[in-house]
Amino acid sequence: MLPTNDALGSITDNDAVTVKTSQRRLLRKSSSLYRFTHWAFLGPAMFFITVFIFVPAIYVIYLSLLHWNLLSSHPKFVGLANYKYLFHDSDFRTALSNSGIVSASMVLIALPLGLGLAMLADLGLRGTKLYRTILFGPYVIPLVASGLIWSLLFNGRHGLVDQVLSIFGIQGPNWLGSQPYALIAVIVVTIWQFTGYYMLIFLGGLQGVPVGLKEAAKVDGAGGWRVFTSVTLPSLSPSIFFAVVVCIIQSLQTFDQVYIMTNGGPDGSTTTLVYYIFRQGFGMYNIGPATAASVILLVILAVLTFIQLRVSQRWVVEA
Amino acid sequence: MTTVTPFKKFFGHAVLIVASLLVLLPVYWMAVSAVEPNADILSSTIHWIPTHFQPGNFSKALHAQPFGRFFLNSFVMSTMIVVLQVITSSLAAYALVFIPMKRKRSWFFSILLAMMVPMQATFIPVYLILSSVHLINTYLGLVLPFAGSAFGIFLLRQGFVSIPKDLVHAARIDGASEWKILRSIVLPNAKPMILTLILLNFVFHYNDLFWPLISTSTTNMRVVPVALSYFLSQEAGQTLQWNLLMAADLVTIIPVLALFLAGQRYMIKGIMGSAIKG
Repeated sequence: MLPTNDALGSITDNDAVTVKTSQRRLLRKSSSLYRFTHWAFLGPAMFFITVFIFVPAIYVIYLSLLHWNLLSSHPKFVGLANYKYLFHDSDFRTALSNSGIVSASMVLIALPLGLGLAMLADLGLRGTKLYRTILFGPYVIPLVASGLIWSLLFNGRHGLVDQVLSIFGIQGPNWLGSQPYALIAVIVVTIWQFTGYYMLIFLGGLQGVPVGLKEAAKVDGAGGWRVFTSVTLPSLSPSIFFAVVVCIIQSLQTFDQVYIMTNGGPDGSTTTLVYYIFRQGFGMYNIGPATAASVILLVILAVLTFIQLRVSQRWVVEA
Repeated sequence: MTTVTPFKKFFGHAVLIVASLLVLLPVYWMAVSAVEPNADILSSTIHWIPTHFQPGNFSKALHAQPFGRFFLNSFVMSTMIVVLQVITSSLAAYALVFIPMKRKRSWFFSILLAMMVPMQATFIPVYLILSSVHLINTYLGLVLPFAGSAFGIFLLRQGFVSIPKDLVHAARIDGASEWKILRSIVLPNAKPMILTLILLNFVFHYNDLFWPLISTSTTNMRVVPVALSYFLSQEAGQTLQWNLLMAADLVTIIPVLALFLAGQRYMIKGIMGSAIKG
């Protein structure tokens, strides 16, 4: 599951790591005493994490250097040929750019929406809890289920979306069957699904904005917009950065909606990076290109996660 | 809380109500479609309230495929994952917080590293590993890849860190074993964090399509999201029974919605906390 990065910041606080020098010897002694115990406690988790995360992460790099059709031929070492193949594969470039478009749309639409809703939910209006529950609700619905609901809503001519549009005299397009509307439909579902989640992240951040500072700014004659840009936004910048990175990480993993709503079509126009990997690997058994694309995804996500961890760590120290 | 002007109040309610309606509308539409004849869904007039009430859609949809089996699979899989994760994560988090050891930082670092690797990038090797021990298309194949969780360790570590160390020291002096301390002092004190882990995890794995889609191949091993996706492809084309599809869809989301409404305090806090505490 996606790390919501709880507890990351507290690496240094409250830990045995921070024991004073005078206590070091004691620690060394007890440490050998606890040797067996700490293995017994860390062992099970580390075993599974090693077998199902670390080993596959290295294995996938190795596989990406092979020419291998899962079913028949023997693996043949081909070096970087698979990466070269990806570079020249227009489907891969489309997948990469689609993933970029989804990520950008989410950052530019879902995040500001989430921030706006969070600010309203932070006013302390009556019924805020109910609003919060409803708005977060879609996040817990399986994406498969959301994808199906929206397939019905986008269903050409009879779908609710088109019927509502026709009230305004607009003839809706064939949403799921034409470009670029299919990708727009996928993005709409993703926004519907995740905006509430980002709202919660911002709501958490807003609770850390010093109320006194806001009051002081108002006393000094700052208007609402000024308070927002000079006090709220800067205090919120760590959560905004966190949300941007998490949003990109989440968007790059887009698969379920596409699998349900469009199967990557029409004409590859909704094929995302993960969908591309899935199709290459389990549709065509081209293990080489599939794993090479996996490595690329792995590197992008690892870099983003690393940034997220670094930033959240720094921000705790400052807070 | 700062004072809220009447205008802000009005504006706030207005926007939040519109947003809530936009969120609820698709779910409402699903519910209406689930109890209508298919012809009404495909008609060109909007039926906000079903004119021909057809509750029989549910039993029809659920009998079209062995949905009972799919639900059972989903529950067994998600529960097994949650139980394993709570066990492995609480043991590891306990070691990281309370057991003195060398190289604690390297352990911590390796767990950070594990958080950077998403399933979508490693599923091919994971598949090959599990298939080499013949666990593909089995419960164990669905469950084992998630038995250890870096996220779970972090979440619980957060809860454990705030437990007074003296409590643990005192118990140790009284001769309690580490295992006993974990069970009788640490776990009861970290209840909210454990509940958060259980809820977020159960919902996540109940909802997951990707790995079950890849690692199962027979109908009797299907979980609910995979079954729904098959429902769509089998019924595709002219004869698509939207009403039955929506009935099945509605039944699918009821368990997670119920769990969410029951435990939303923990889920919402768990996610908001990620932004406050970082």
